[in-house]
Amino acid sequence: MTLQLWRSPSPAVRNAIIGLVVLVSLAFIAMPASAARDESAEAFVNEVASEAIEILGQDGFTPQELEAAFRILFVGNMDVPRIGLFALGQYARTPTAEQKAEYLALVEEFIVKVYASRLSDYTDQQFAVLSSQPKGSRGKEVIVSSQIEFTTGRAPVPVEWWLLKTDEGYKVFDVKVLGIWMAQEQRSTFISVIRNNGGDFSSLLEHIKTQIAQANQDRDVKVTEADAAVATESTQ
Amino acid sequence: MNIEFGRNSLSSMVAVFGLAVILSGCATRPDTADAAAVAAYEEANDPIEPLNRYFFELNNFLDIILLRPSAEIYDGVLPTIAKDGVRNFLDNLRSPVILANDLLQGEWDRAGDTTARFGINTTAGVLGLGDPATGWGYARHGEDFGQTLAVYGVGEGPYFYAPVLGPAPPRDLAGFGVDLFFDPLTYIFWDKAYTIPVTRFVLNGIDLRARNLDTLDEIERTSIDYYAAIRSLYRQSRADEIQNGVTDIEALPDISNIDFTSHE
Repeated sequence: MTLQLWRSPSPAVRNAIIGLVVLVSLAFIAMPASAARDESAEAFVNEVASEAIEILGQDGFTPQELEAAFRILFVGNMDVPRIGLFALGQYARTPTAEQKAEYLALVEEFIVKVYASRLSDYTDQQFAVLSSQPKGSRGKEVIVSSQIEFTTGRAPVPVEWWLLKTDEGYKVFDVKVLGIWMAQEQRSTFISVIRNNGGDFSSLLEHIKTQIAQANQDRDVKVTEADAAVATESTQ
Repeated sequence: MNIEFGRNSLSSMVAVFGLAVILSGCATRPDTADAAAVAAYEEANDPIEPLNRYFFELNNFLDIILLRPSAEIYDGVLPTIAKDGVRNFLDNLRSPVILANDLLQGEWDRAGDTTARFGINTTAGVLGLGDPATGWGYARHGEDFGQTLAVYGVGEGPYFYAPVLGPAPPRDLAGFGVDLFFDPLTYIFWDKAYTIPVTRFVLNGIDLRARNLDTLDEIERTSIDYYAAIRSLYRQSRADEIQNGVTDIEALPDISNIDFTSHE
């Protein structure tokens, strides 16, 4: 009965509905032009980026101090658990409770080291936010476009930020530098390690531990080399 | 023995690819009962992964004994201005290929940029050694037939890592072959010695390697699986090139509600 009623509205009603749908969709199409930019998200990105630049600009920092400063910046402003979960794909369902806890701790350490190491390549730069646009229908995600500009005349490096609105304000989920989303890259390596070890989750934990140990070793070697250089300089 | 239009390098690559496809039967498919493994297998889209990893190791070996040392010497010996000259010259030589693909993609503005760049850099830039066009508002962009195919809706296909050439899934491998026919040098040196085209290929490789010495070290050092990292970087940077650097927000995954029990 109701189905019948729904199926045959009079032509006038039908036209009215179509007209309304067209009008509403036009309104939605027209809206983003004026309402797309999210100023609070852009301000957040500006703040995080200027802090990163400030850290990179600290001349006297040892690698340990640099890492410590980045740790505070990253852990405070990134949604590390979500990145960790995303990086597991469907393997997120496989770890035990202890493995989950260990994984989340390790992934935080790993992300701090990888991002700090990759960021430290950038020196002598300026930062500019270009635009922002909402992602998804829930209004909880924003993509902010920006670029790193160099005083040396090197071509600017485009950087996009994928932000999530949380109860504690914005959190960075992912960063795209020169076309590469970092979390996506981690996901493909993490999944690959688990799959190539027959689905054994602990193999991933072992790989991450090895990587962290290696990064610590590299960092300490850097420190000793720097110390040695200072020592030779002072003896000469 | 070669087909008339089949250059040596191209036909040997096709042969290698055929071999790869035949050997693909050896690759391990996951048990269908293991949903996570099946999802991982499909996401990787790398059915001949063992063979690809073998070629990857082979290339890493060639890199260590040959390409990397050459790139380091090149990087250390030549002053920056000379290296930039080499890069500009090689980029300028590639203009016809870029233009053909700009046109095939209907990118008229970018085709205009490519034409202007070629004119300016060949004359004011002294045979392409300089790049004044960038300063005049015609910034460089790349294009190739792999990207054109992607714009036409052709998927990348399963991952393939070729010896020497590196990542070359079917679409991009085919694009590489077609681009040879858009390249005037192919016809100029059609029935002559291949010295100049080969020199260009090698020099291009060394220059690119030299420009990525630190970057690749960094990626290798900070990845738990270098092969998988390169696979992801290749696919992502191709996707970015195909989109001409504009992020396709619709194509990004939904991450707003993932947790340890989720299916995504």
